[in-house]
Amino acid sequence: MLRAYRFIVDLFTQRHGIVAFVFFLVLGLLMRQAPVPIRESVVSTALSSLYFPAQRIVSAMGHYKSIAQENEQLKEENARLRQETFHAREGLQELARLHTLVRFDDKWDYPIVTARVVGHNPGRFLTTMVINRGVEHGVKENMPVFSMNGLVGKISKSTTSHSRVQLLVDPNLKLSVMDRRTRVVGFLESMDGRRLTAMIPTHAGVHAGDTLVTSGLGGIFPKGIPVGTVKEIRKSDLDVMCQMDVNPFQEFSILEEVFVMEKEPDWIVKELLDE
Amino acid sequence: MSNLRWLGVFILFVIVFALQATVVDWLRFFDVGPDLVIIFVVTVAIRRGPAAGCFWGFWAGFTQDVYAPVEWLGAHSISMTILGFAVGQLEERFLSLNLPAKVGVLGLGFFVCDMIYFAVTGLSKDVVTNLFLTKSLPECLYTMLIGGIFFYLDLGKKKKKHV
Repeated sequence: MLRAYRFIVDLFTQRHGIVAFVFFLVLGLLMRQAPVPIRESVVSTALSSLYFPAQRIVSAMGHYKSIAQENEQLKEENARLRQETFHAREGLQELARLHTLVRFDDKWDYPIVTARVVGHNPGRFLTTMVINRGVEHGVKENMPVFSMNGLVGKISKSTTSHSRVQLLVDPNLKLSVMDRRTRVVGFLESMDGRRLTAMIPTHAGVHAGDTLVTSGLGGIFPKGIPVGTVKEIRKSDLDVMCQMDVNPFQEFSILEEVFVMEKEPDWIVKELLDE
Repeated sequence: MSNLRWLGVFILFVIVFALQATVVDWLRFFDVGPDLVIIFVVTVAIRRGPAAGCFWGFWAGFTQDVYAPVEWLGAHSISMTILGFAVGQLEERFLSLNLPAKVGVLGLGFFVCDMIYFAVTGLSKDVVTNLFLTKSLPECLYTMLIGGIFFYLDLGKKKKKHV
């Protein structure tokens, strides 16, 4: 047996493999000349016997490749779905805010312009901000600005497409407020650009925790917009007036959207009072 | 060749076909990919001579034939057998080929193999010209590049062994 094997190997390797070359060439030519049924039989036999293990390897690698591709696709889809979920959540939050606005809007008979906050004043204390609505949207100076939580301020400057909002904490803004429980009227201001202070007659019996709303006096702000709650009451230098710290309902630094009430100032009220 | 060497070449043969059927798809640019099978046949023929060259050339060609249209059965076998035998004449035992020479042999072998294949399959002159320009030429260059890298790494290994 070993001799036969040696003989065949020597036969094929001697003379620079001419025998092997002729043998395989003839084999190839025979396959080439064979009728189609015989070729099909050769191919199917080879595939089902000789190449079966190799096919398993190739198909396993193909399977691995398809898994890798599927993994990539799933990763992309996951990223896209995450993005969509994020947008959907944002949309739901916006919807909730708008729902609140609709209810808020019912209280007053003035049209409301929704605006986005696009800038803050660059100073250390936030006293003004810029919104993306201006004269072309119907926004004019001295129109009240509020959020869903409460009063924000008023329009101090209006250009064609943008406006500047003077916040309640601006020391130059003073407004008339009213204690919701006792209905007594005082005024609100900020002395340092950070805290709100209200001055209300001492005899009125205002307590910490009371809610202050706009009184409607002065002609700019309509009556009843929530402003803040009384945090602490301090005796004034003047005994007739009480000085109290007020917590605003709206944190101004986190404002994203505000609403401008298209209410022209009732200067006639001021004029009548002056007379 | 000792039995162990035969086994080594057989394993390499299986790996080359597995790579050709899978990894080469990932290396394709504009439907042009390297032909690892030709690199394998040329390498074996240079290392082991014409007998081993035509033996592995035949089996490599037959394997390609099995997965090709049945009408062309034998075309790859013939072309690869001739390639293996021809390149085997430059066996390393008698000739020492440097890297550019090996890459040149690979490129020439690729063309010869393709020409024989086209002749055996009986394709028309126009089709052959078109295939030569759009397929053979870019794939030959790509195969020479990959083969060059392989030969370079192989030569590096040999030098280390000698040291």
